[in-house]
Amino acid sequence: MKYSVRQLACGILCGALGWVNVATAEQTACSDADTEALQWLSRMAKSHSEVAYQGVVTLQRGDDMQVVQVARSLAGGVSSEHLTRLTGQGAQVIRANHPLDCTHPGEGLLTLGNRLNEADNCGLARHYQFQVSPGERIAGRQSMKVEIRPRDMYRYGVLLELDSETALMLRVSTLGRGDKILERFQFADLNYGEPLQPRADIDTVHPAAHPHPDYPSNAPQLSVPWAVSWVPGGFTVTDKASPASARRTYTDGLAVFSVFLEQLPQELKPGEGLARLGSSLSYTRGMRLAGKPVLVTVIGEVPVNTARMVADSIRVLHQSAP
Amino acid sequence: MTEQLRESLSALMDDQASDLEMRRLLGEFEGDPALRQTWVRYQIARSAMAGQPVTHVRFDISQRVSAAIAAEAPTARTTLRERWMRPLASLAVAASVTAVVVLGGQQLYKAGTLDAQNAPAIASGVSAVGFVNSLGAVPMRASYGAQAMPQLEPAARTAYRELARQRMYQYMQEHAEHAALNSPQGLIPFARVPQIEE
Repeated sequence: MKYSVRQLACGILCGALGWVNVATAEQTACSDADTEALQWLSRMAKSHSEVAYQGVVTLQRGDDMQVVQVARSLAGGVSSEHLTRLTGQGAQVIRANHPLDCTHPGEGLLTLGNRLNEADNCGLARHYQFQVSPGERIAGRQSMKVEIRPRDMYRYGVLLELDSETALMLRVSTLGRGDKILERFQFADLNYGEPLQPRADIDTVHPAAHPHPDYPSNAPQLSVPWAVSWVPGGFTVTDKASPASARRTYTDGLAVFSVFLEQLPQELKPGEGLARLGSSLSYTRGMRLAGKPVLVTVIGEVPVNTARMVADSIRVLHQSAP
Repeated sequence: MTEQLRESLSALMDDQASDLEMRRLLGEFEGDPALRQTWVRYQIARSAMAGQPVTHVRFDISQRVSAAIAAEAPTARTTLRERWMRPLASLAVAASVTAVVVLGGQQLYKAGTLDAQNAPAIASGVSAVGFVNSLGAVPMRASYGAQAMPQLEPAARTAYRELARQRMYQYMQEHAEHAALNSPQGLIPFARVPQIEE
């Protein structure tokens, strides 16, 4: 078994991550329904640092079903997580020693609900509308249903079913147009507070990355600094990638998409292509940027129009410009 | 012409042909006048259905295209970079194939005709969002995009789709690294990665 864990010094790195920019939020009055839902979302986000568990999760995408085992343990101010594939590839992803007070932009967006009264802004409720109702039993636990519908066409709907006691996500359904279920994660079995069980039949162990703006990145750098000049409202960049880095990632707290730019060695017929898998999209566009052929790819859990508009908005940054 | 060939030909017309089918068909085209005639008939029928004038249908596969196809034949061992770049090469082939296969070329977008004066700071060849609806998108107004995306010919569309599929494999894990930290599902985004690499 190959096992090479590159432990990042999370404790040093995490402090600066909670920079989510909400200064542009409009002043909006929150409805009671929104407030209740936002409080559930906030509890859900915080359950990451409060609840230890292990369980079996199924991932359904169309006719395809995968099964993974997930676990999280908490000790000494850090969490350790793993995800192990039980079907297909024998692979495991681990994240060890992640400080509990380390919050990333996505979580920051979800926990805005806590500061509703101070800031008088509704956070996610500007872009989604919510409805909370009692749900059914999932993995032996009583659930609370949070229906999340987008207010615009730039993101998908989500049906969250949370443990009514711990707010842990028991089932997540991503809904496309006409409430078509594009993808569904669901706990089939869940036990709280049990220690991680090591498994032997693993070929690949991948330590999850912990990107940070100040951490030297060995990501490929392009010769042209570039920027995405439009993203849908509510999306914020997840890490401060350098202007010449090949990737940017954005989140609105629920959905995430990444933009990749490749400089091409040869001229390409301009065009676009699309591949989908569940709620995931790969939108590829061949175009010219500063007179050079490039390939832009948007990967993420967003509708194709969002991906296309993001690709449309890519601009070269002129370093000499003021 | 065999039934299988006829099916492959329809698939090519409908943008459903696989790379392999496309390659085989192009080979068949060279030595089969009946097949070429069928292709021309299909093209005329489609143009007529689309309400376009049916004139000037020609068919020719030049030496250049044949050479491009031959050069693109897969080799036994390829590096990772070659594997990821292959759809690009096939796209170049597709571009040259369509340039000679399709009706007079009037619908074709020609690379290199972009206005170089406007090019430097603005991504060009971009769509007026909402115009292209071939991918199931909802028409909508938006202020981005400078010009209409050209309607791609079937072969190029096939190549672009393959490109998108391969990029999904190539980039999904890197996307998952960030999704795992910035969406509420914890490590679960990694379950979407087709093949987890160390």
